[in-house]
Amino acid sequence: MSQNNEDEKFTAADQMVVAGSHQIRPDDVIYVGLGLPFLSALLAKYTHAPDSTIIIENGIVRTTGFEMPRATDTPGAQFMSDQLTGLFYISSLGQSGHINTGFIGAGQIDRYGNVNDTCVGDYSKPVHRWSGSGGANDVTSFCQRSIAMLRQTKRRFPEKVDFITCPGYLDGIEGQREKAGMPPGTGPAMVITDLACYTFENGEMVVKSVHISVGATLEKVKEEIGWDIKVAADLQDTTPPTDEEIRILREEVDPKRIWVGGKRKPLGED
Amino acid sequence: MNKVMTMQEAVSRFVKTGDILFISGMQHGEPAAAIHEIVRQKIDHLTLVSVLVATANLLIGEGLVDRVLTGYISQDERSYAVAKARAAGRLPVYEEYSHFGISLLLTAGQMGIPFIPTRSEVGSDMPKYNKNITSVKCPFTGEPVGAIRAVNPDVGIIHVQRCDAEGNAQKWGTMGVDVEGINASKKIFVTTEKVVDADVIRRDPNRTVIPGFRVSAVVEQPFGAHPMHLAGCYSGDMWGYYFDTGPKENYEPYVKDLVYGVKDWDEHLEKKAEIKPPGYFENFKIKPVESEPIVSGY
Repeated sequence: MSQNNEDEKFTAADQMVVAGSHQIRPDDVIYVGLGLPFLSALLAKYTHAPDSTIIIENGIVRTTGFEMPRATDTPGAQFMSDQLTGLFYISSLGQSGHINTGFIGAGQIDRYGNVNDTCVGDYSKPVHRWSGSGGANDVTSFCQRSIAMLRQTKRRFPEKVDFITCPGYLDGIEGQREKAGMPPGTGPAMVITDLACYTFENGEMVVKSVHISVGATLEKVKEEIGWDIKVAADLQDTTPPTDEEIRILREEVDPKRIWVGGKRKPLGED
Repeated sequence: MNKVMTMQEAVSRFVKTGDILFISGMQHGEPAAAIHEIVRQKIDHLTLVSVLVATANLLIGEGLVDRVLTGYISQDERSYAVAKARAAGRLPVYEEYSHFGISLLLTAGQMGIPFIPTRSEVGSDMPKYNKNITSVKCPFTGEPVGAIRAVNPDVGIIHVQRCDAEGNAQKWGTMGVDVEGINASKKIFVTTEKVVDADVIRRDPNRTVIPGFRVSAVVEQPFGAHPMHLAGCYSGDMWGYYFDTGPKENYEPYVKDLVYGVKDWDEHLEKKAEIKPPGYFENFKIKPVESEPIVSGY
């Protein structure tokens, strides 16, 4: 399977970005985090969703394209925005239901779409620590559709996460999110990995499409998942990137190749 | 009253051992010069409230922080400061929220109320380990809702583009948690690129984020947010800073030469210009763009 081979026409990471872009509808208001989600949001803006609104938690609301940022807040991301404000205002837009789609990265994700960005093992004596929520908990709590993007390994797809940083459908029982105090009609809509796309049926993650274009197979998908995952009745091949999408991604979205494969250049190489 | 003073004086008078310290600047225009001065003065046992403030790693690395209220803990290659604090037995206790949670605890502080309801954090495991997040029943509908306890920092520091001598401070660009954080703080000091005439402020008063009567000190400090960017003033070098203070072999010379080895921020900038390749600071010049002026009058 192609990973980040520069000679390949496109990589698994490109397939992830394009699959993310296809999830953005023309008039969506999108909350984005750093890395792959930014690439997807900008690709959609430069292709089928020029009127989408891109929202960055530091306080940026914009409907025009911008230089691919190296961090969530950059002068280029601020410049010529429609509105500059603060995190309270942005999150309040989300909490009151005005940001319909949110993209996050994730450390681990489980059967019911719960995301762990905090720790593996006991919280007080963790085996592994991640950075914590940042704005991800807010995105997944508030958005009608939240979309997680992460590379897939068995370790990152346990049946049940050790720590819920961003609630998905909790135990998969209907109404649990609302009972906890989250807005109704919200929750995970899709998970995009380097192997496949997943949706949710009755609160449970199911395989929706496999990235055949980069050599993934259903068998491989099932190998890299920590439970016996269900497969959607209408399982498909993931729509591959078009030549035009790859061109726009390379030439317009990230011409400086800052986020190749969703990973930033190593420190000291700027 | 003219409140303009030096950074040394402002820090020694208004930041005390044991304080809850709010630091403004969520990846935009943080008061880096003031943070370096706090390290130089070794003011310790601090509780930090901030969101994505890059140079706050120095406070942790130098063992000055007991507790951090945060949504995001740097644990990657940027985190030698954390490793150093851990080795010295000075790893802070982290009290974890979502980013909105930090904004909300400060907003409740700004409003003068004991807690604030929220629909974030509920359903996550954060409330299990953070006693300042819980759930309550809505008194009107009986439905469950999250609740976050208010915080009023003892002292808040904000860096701005312009401020008058009284402390009427104006910042623009992304605001992160600046407005609620600085307004929730009991004592406030402002560091500013430039001290301007009060009439400059009064010709565009909607831009004032904190009024002078709330402010105790004003420090004029050009490039006071470097290595971060500041809207309309300069771009930044955040990733360069992470590299300069990330690995141990870079962190230790940085604090020795550029924190303890200089008397103030101007000397820090001069010394950094000598260490960095020629033209380092010139690269941060921006091409300014102006909108139509704000018009007032009667």
